[in-house]
Amino acid sequence: MQTGFTSQDFIRFLIVMAVMGVLFGWAYATKRMQKDFSSTMTWVLIPVAIAINISIGQLVVVLKLPVYLDSIGTVLVGVLCGPWAGALAGALSNFVAGIIFDPGWWPWIPVAAVIGLTAGFCANMGFFKTWWKVAVTGFLIALAATITGSPIAVLLGGISASGSSIITAFLLQTGKGIFESVLTTNFLVEPIDKISTSLLAFAILDGLSTRYLARFPRGENAQLNQQKRTIELVIALVVVAILVIVTILFVVPLVNQ
Amino acid sequence: MNDRLSFYRKRNSPVHALNPFTKLILVSALIFYGLTAKGFWTATLMVAFVLLPLALASKLLKEYVGVALKVILPTAGFMFVMQSVFIPGGTTEIFRLGFISVELETVQRSYLIASRIFLFISAFVLLLLTTHPSELMSDLTRRGLPPQFAYVIISTLQIIPQMQAKAQTIIAAQRSRGLDTESSFFKRAGLLVPLVGPLVFGSLVEVEERAIAIEARGFTSTRTKTFLHDIPDTPADKFIRWTLTLFIIISLAARLWLS
Repeated sequence: MQTGFTSQDFIRFLIVMAVMGVLFGWAYATKRMQKDFSSTMTWVLIPVAIAINISIGQLVVVLKLPVYLDSIGTVLVGVLCGPWAGALAGALSNFVAGIIFDPGWWPWIPVAAVIGLTAGFCANMGFFKTWWKVAVTGFLIALAATITGSPIAVLLGGISASGSSIITAFLLQTGKGIFESVLTTNFLVEPIDKISTSLLAFAILDGLSTRYLARFPRGENAQLNQQKRTIELVIALVVVAILVIVTILFVVPLVNQ
Repeated sequence: MNDRLSFYRKRNSPVHALNPFTKLILVSALIFYGLTAKGFWTATLMVAFVLLPLALASKLLKEYVGVALKVILPTAGFMFVMQSVFIPGGTTEIFRLGFISVELETVQRSYLIASRIFLFISAFVLLLLTTHPSELMSDLTRRGLPPQFAYVIISTLQIIPQMQAKAQTIIAAQRSRGLDTESSFFKRAGLLVPLVGPLVFGSLVEVEERAIAIEARGFTSTRTKTFLHDIPDTPADKFIRWTLTLFIIISLAARLWLS
């Protein structure tokens, strides 16, 4: 059986790095990245966001909820300060968790960075202003996190100490390949977690004053549309339901292959 | 600051006396070699014959073994068992448990991955045991890392204990009002609001004051910054760093040449 890197993996890795490099260069050349870090508020928000990530992550464990919710702070930074600040907040969040819990968090740094990046890009497109759009953002974050996280999980052997590995183990026994099983598991687990994360982040932004939000480089991303709340909430639930159905429709063919 | 938050233990040892950057290079070189070398037992042997003596030299053998047994071994061991049992493939069957068969090849592969993860985590634990995070960050800043990064890491390590204390206070306060962490799922999910709300809004309000405070202290100044503590960097450190770099280049070249 294949262990370690193959040349094919290496080429894929190079392609991903090249895409990231082009994106990075484009953001730098067009001064989009510099805007994220133009204010001291960004640099002060990031530590607080990391602390929020870690504290809420622990709170969720106390409440024994079946989600992680350990990237609320990352999403907040992504929305308020921009995608690149969000990516930095995510990366450093896992870095710090590695320092205080155990360095086993460090392989997951790219996933955390992609979560902040995606949240920021969606918010820049105006997708963090109403409940249903936030649910879509959460779904896109989950998608991006799955795509980034699955290769890392496979590299670490596919089955880890987390509870969702039971699904992976089950799929492996039904005769699926490792990559397929990990991808399917993440598709089942991530959307629930990331949509709740985004909705909670949105609820937090909703409670902050406009004057406070305006101090951040991209505070306008979070200027919420004041509309009929109940209707919005209903639409949000419908959107979540549709996304779940789409996920199942998308995953079931994958499982039946 | 409480001790629990970082692994760091103060000792008077040659490893502690090394420059933080040297230790970072040392640990990275060990991990790089352990992950790229071909031999099946490489990672295991490196833990036994490199990391353990290093822990002994830094007078932290007890702490290192403690962390390894309490934190790393459960994770790596669980992964090893789960992967050996559940990942199919391989032809040489060792034994059968109902419909699950365990093959020799899978066990070998799982062991390889688990031992590499063990090496990766325990090497970094050794770095964190012997180096204070803020010392490492200020040394990296001196070598050209933007000072904002050091600010983020160091202030996060200060904020987290405060925030955890605040979270404990909030949980205690809500418990006295009848919060029940043992109730049904939907009730527990509903509890997130009264717990998360005060915690997050309280800390976000501080952000603005903090920004004004550090701006007044020249955070955004572009002039070269001076350092309060001088971190020693001896010629021996430089020698070790260059040797390790050379070692990595040679091992990588040998690996590419031979395969």
